[in-house]
Amino acid sequence: MTEFRVAIGKRRAFRRRLADALAHGVATAGGLATVLGIGTMLLFLTAEVAPLWQGARVQLEGRVPLGEQPSLLWVSTDEYRELVQAIRADGSIEWRRVADGRVVHNSRLPGTEGLGVEAVQSPRSGQVVYWRSDGVLVAANVVTHTEYTAAGRALRPETAELGRWNLLPPGQTPRLFSTGAYTDKGISAAWLRADGAVEWWSVREQRSLLGGGRQVEMREVIRTADGARVQSMVLNHAGNQLLMGTDEGTLEVWQRGPSASQLIDRRRAADRASISVLAFLLGERAVAVGDSAGGVSVWQLIRDPQTTTGHRLVRIHSFRPHQAPVVQIARSERDRSFVSADSTGTLLLRHSTSEQTLAEIPAGSVRFLVFAPKGDGLLQITLGSEARAWRLENPHPEVTLKTLFGKVWYEGYDEPAYVWQSTGGTDDFEPKLSLVPLVFGTVKGTLYALLFSVPISLLAALYVSQFSPPRLRSAIKPVVEIMAALPSVVLGFVAGLVLAPAVEKHIVGVLMALPLAPLSVFLAGLLWHACPAVVRARMPHGGEVVVASVFLAITGYFFWVTSAYWEQLLFAGDFRHWISEVGLGRFDQRNCLVVGLAMGFAVIPIIFTIAEDALANVPQRLVSASLALGATRWQTAVRVVLPAASPGIFSAIMIGFGRAVGETMIVLMATGNTPVLDWSVFTGMRTLSANVAVEIPEAPFGGTLYRVLFLAALMLFVITFIANTLAEVVRQRLRERYQRL
Amino acid sequence: MQSRVWKSGDPFIWLAAGALGTALLMIGGLFWLIITRALGVFWPAELVLLELRTGERFLGHIGAVEASPDPENSKTLVRRIQVQVANRDLSSADFVWIDEDQIASRTRPTDAIVVERQEWGNLFGWLVAVTEDGEPIAQGSEQSWQVLQQMLPQVAAQRGRIRRLEQRQLGDINYRMEQTRLEMKRYELRGDDAGALQGVRERLTRLQAEYEQVYARLEAMKREAQRTVAVFQTASGQEKSVPLVQVVRAYWPNQMSTWQKVRLYCAKFWEFVSGEPRESNTEGGVFPAIFGTVLMVLIMSCAVVPFGVLAALYLREYARQGPAVRLVRIAVNNLAGVPSIVFGVFGLGFFIYSVGGSIDSWLFAERLPTPTFGTGGILWASLTLALLTVPVVIVATEEALAAVPREHREGSLALGATKYETIRNVVLPSALPGVFTGLILAMARGAGEVAPLMITGVVKLAPSLPLDHHWPYLHLDRKFMHLGFHIYDVGFQSPNVEAAKPMVYATTLLLVSIVVFLNLTAIFLRARIRKRLHAGAF
Repeated sequence: MTEFRVAIGKRRAFRRRLADALAHGVATAGGLATVLGIGTMLLFLTAEVAPLWQGARVQLEGRVPLGEQPSLLWVSTDEYRELVQAIRADGSIEWRRVADGRVVHNSRLPGTEGLGVEAVQSPRSGQVVYWRSDGVLVAANVVTHTEYTAAGRALRPETAELGRWNLLPPGQTPRLFSTGAYTDKGISAAWLRADGAVEWWSVREQRSLLGGGRQVEMREVIRTADGARVQSMVLNHAGNQLLMGTDEGTLEVWQRGPSASQLIDRRRAADRASISVLAFLLGERAVAVGDSAGGVSVWQLIRDPQTTTGHRLVRIHSFRPHQAPVVQIARSERDRSFVSADSTGTLLLRHSTSEQTLAEIPAGSVRFLVFAPKGDGLLQITLGSEARAWRLENPHPEVTLKTLFGKVWYEGYDEPAYVWQSTGGTDDFEPKLSLVPLVFGTVKGTLYALLFSVPISLLAALYVSQFSPPRLRSAIKPVVEIMAALPSVVLGFVAGLVLAPAVEKHIVGVLMALPLAPLSVFLAGLLWHACPAVVRARMPHGGEVVVASVFLAITGYFFWVTSAYWEQLLFAGDFRHWISEVGLGRFDQRNCLVVGLAMGFAVIPIIFTIAEDALANVPQRLVSASLALGATRWQTAVRVVLPAASPGIFSAIMIGFGRAVGETMIVLMATGNTPVLDWSVFTGMRTLSANVAVEIPEAPFGGTLYRVLFLAALMLFVITFIANTLAEVVRQRLRERYQRL
Repeated sequence: MQSRVWKSGDPFIWLAAGALGTALLMIGGLFWLIITRALGVFWPAELVLLELRTGERFLGHIGAVEASPDPENSKTLVRRIQVQVANRDLSSADFVWIDEDQIASRTRPTDAIVVERQEWGNLFGWLVAVTEDGEPIAQGSEQSWQVLQQMLPQVAAQRGRIRRLEQRQLGDINYRMEQTRLEMKRYELRGDDAGALQGVRERLTRLQAEYEQVYARLEAMKREAQRTVAVFQTASGQEKSVPLVQVVRAYWPNQMSTWQKVRLYCAKFWEFVSGEPRESNTEGGVFPAIFGTVLMVLIMSCAVVPFGVLAALYLREYARQGPAVRLVRIAVNNLAGVPSIVFGVFGLGFFIYSVGGSIDSWLFAERLPTPTFGTGGILWASLTLALLTVPVVIVATEEALAAVPREHREGSLALGATKYETIRNVVLPSALPGVFTGLILAMARGAGEVAPLMITGVVKLAPSLPLDHHWPYLHLDRKFMHLGFHIYDVGFQSPNVEAAKPMVYATTLLLVSIVVFLNLTAIFLRARIRKRLHAGAF
């Protein structure tokens, strides 16, 4: 019997011990998991941002000998980088697999039977323009359709002639040759003649209103201004802009007008070297220039009213030079990347906008160099006619600390600028991801929010902690708590749709009330001081709040109602016109004044609560001592309580700052969200947080924009975390000090 | 005198009192604005007929009055009134501004009618006739009104039948077809069992036939419903025919007694709370948004309570108190101050793309490339908010645990209870109200957040609720609607913001009421705990 009981007791004890251990384990695991989960957040954000700074990786994927004869004129690769397409001097086209070197398809350029081909260019994908050996220029489509069948991928190339023009006597061949794209508007080509002059030919389709068309041909001979020899030239897609580089290092831009061409500008682009390569970058606004000394730079035309033509060539980016003359430049069709190759066969992968040299590839020798259509590979043909396919991993070439936080000279801009513009309408749009306007917007919004809320909340805290009866204090606390809990979307709605139009209409009244309403209360205080003691004694404790509120409400309402009259009186009836005349800039309906007011709702209760806490917890001994020495309540509050609680007030402002920095919905709804860079209180801004909220749903996963937005989020995280930690540490130390006092 | 003023500091004290007053006025003004505007939304306002000197006639609700500078003479001001004229399909704008000195007469025609329609918003005008298949069955305002009144309940029933057919039956068939298609794809992916695949294919064909059948019935019903038409005349003299099935409600506001108005008010309010949105959310009800908000907060609570309480228990009861724990505590505290959008970004990257993407490739491969969990949904939104609010619960719970008197714990341990038993039987029960306070505060915060939801699964119009009668009933992957986002979307993304404002005000009041109610509950609960603790100390 006893044994049995002991057994039960043992089993129970065991069960109890087990439960205890289990609980310990579960609590520890769960607790640690939660804490770790929070830490994970920081790690995850960082991990998503980190690839932005990853350099490019280049890897040789395959090499295929193409055979020397007949000589190669042009090569390209397909989207999947599986095939090499080569055009040879006999007009034949072959498609060869990179993996095993097998020729998978053969074709020929239209109209080349029995004739050779001298030079081939591809002004756009799927289109080639070539010189036949009889001096005829031909434009043709060479499109490779890919079809998916049960057996796998099948190629179906299609060639079609678009037009031919007899331009040169047979036997004469152009030395340098560049062509625009063939479109329904016509085509243009330029070539270097044996006598050193450049011939620029174009044919334009002129449509009359009646529907009939007429071809207008134009042929001009262009010579360089100082007689320097042309070493390189390039024509844009549209065929109306010609760039030439000379052996003296000058770069010339010619523009074709309706009847004649005009030299727009010429600049020295290389010192003691000749310009060996010119290549337009994607978008065709900027051109990459390579010289015989190995220098590589990017140039573009900018507007300059001081020149006669109104335009000027400027060097917008420079790059690390090669050790040998530059012989080839290939551009990416995806972004502003390009590769420059020198005569020793070194390839340097660059990104124009960020001025980065991302990779160096010792490649032997270079005869041809092209980017894969998706920008994820390079095809190099050596002097020995070997094709080499390189795989390129270059996910975020456009991002550096400089492009994120410095002024960047974007294509088409007249000067370096801070720009945030992540999406655009065209395929060759370049995302401009400068965080500066967003950081600026955040700082601006925060500043105005704090300018408005810090004085109000601190004064209110001082009043409640030092001068108000305890009953008022216990009534105000929950009100403030409710104020802090108001959803920011509600504040944003009221600010954006109610406050903003109303403030716009009564702007002068609001601006006048901002200093004058507090002044009226101040004067009321003076008056009160002058009142005889009998009157003063009749005021209930805390009655100042009611009277002051009434004063505020009356003055505020007065200016609100009479705003239109003041506007007539002071600004000739149009305040918006007035500020633009004075030079204060625009007036947006959704401006910082509104944001400041609306953010006040969010920030005031936070600062108030913490500051009030700090002020109220100043040891009573200090207050009593001060009062006993004859100081008034006000003197005690300002000279004893405030200094003692100043760390608490600091941490209150820090936490309010953190809230204002991260606030999203209010700024999203109460500002125009335009990334501007001015401090005016009458304009809006775009903050980091609102920007993330607006753009991240559309950002492709893993793309540059996606990661930059993660960076913005990480910045917000770090800023607020630092502000809050600082505040927390200061507060804890303050608490310890109070205990010692 | 002067130095006495500065010594006493009276003006400054007044200034401080004024600052407090400003804060109170701000909050009071905000509540006053929301409440007055929102409560007026459902009240059937009178229709006023304005005849201008030019001969133009406008019928509508009189809105704001404003004074603005005269364009001809900049010294004087002109008073203009805003009139809501509705009839969005006939005139371009919902609202017109009319100069007050242009008005020749203002009357309140007793038989002016307000018609709430399924599409195009309200119609203001006069009832002219009711026709069936083009044949008039009632003519004149009075007679037609009688007929209309009789027919509207039947029409409502008819509309209900059409909707049920559309949503329930057709929706069910659609759902089953979708499931069957997925099943088919699953078999195809596996590449075996040709017989089963054939069976599934047949099932799909059967379902398709069924769909056609129901669809034909639906079309017939819709045609039937189009037969009866009410003809109205507007103030500008245009005639407008509205099929009765489009009419949600019609009333003569200028003839209604207060009691009738109150009843209408309640009916409209009920429609707002329980109805589906119409007209791209600017009219109708917000039931799906309420449902989405509540469900999301509930799922969030399920996640946040265990983790929050465990973390607090660990930090307070199990972890060795030292600098490390203090650091963690500060970090947890500060997490509450990290902007909510950052949590949203984390939710998007971690939950949706990383976790959701993996779930999709393991479990829902047949649906790819259409993502199931790899896109925003109520689960991810709730978890994101749980992460956002877990510090609130941890802090509140820790505070409650710390407030449990040491003697209670020691007493329990002295009686031989293990630590677990002490916590379960002594500590937790007395800390429970604190945990609840934390939970309620977390719920209030969660209900009001919008920014993180915008990127983790909230949509402006969800096709179906996340909870329905199809297995597994609770669809955690579905997108949902939310009151806060509704405010943002309707107020800022709808084409006609001015006309949508009443809806936004009503939604705002609803959301604010929920949040304030939750907060007041928390405040009340906390006050009671404090009281009990103080009482316990003596």
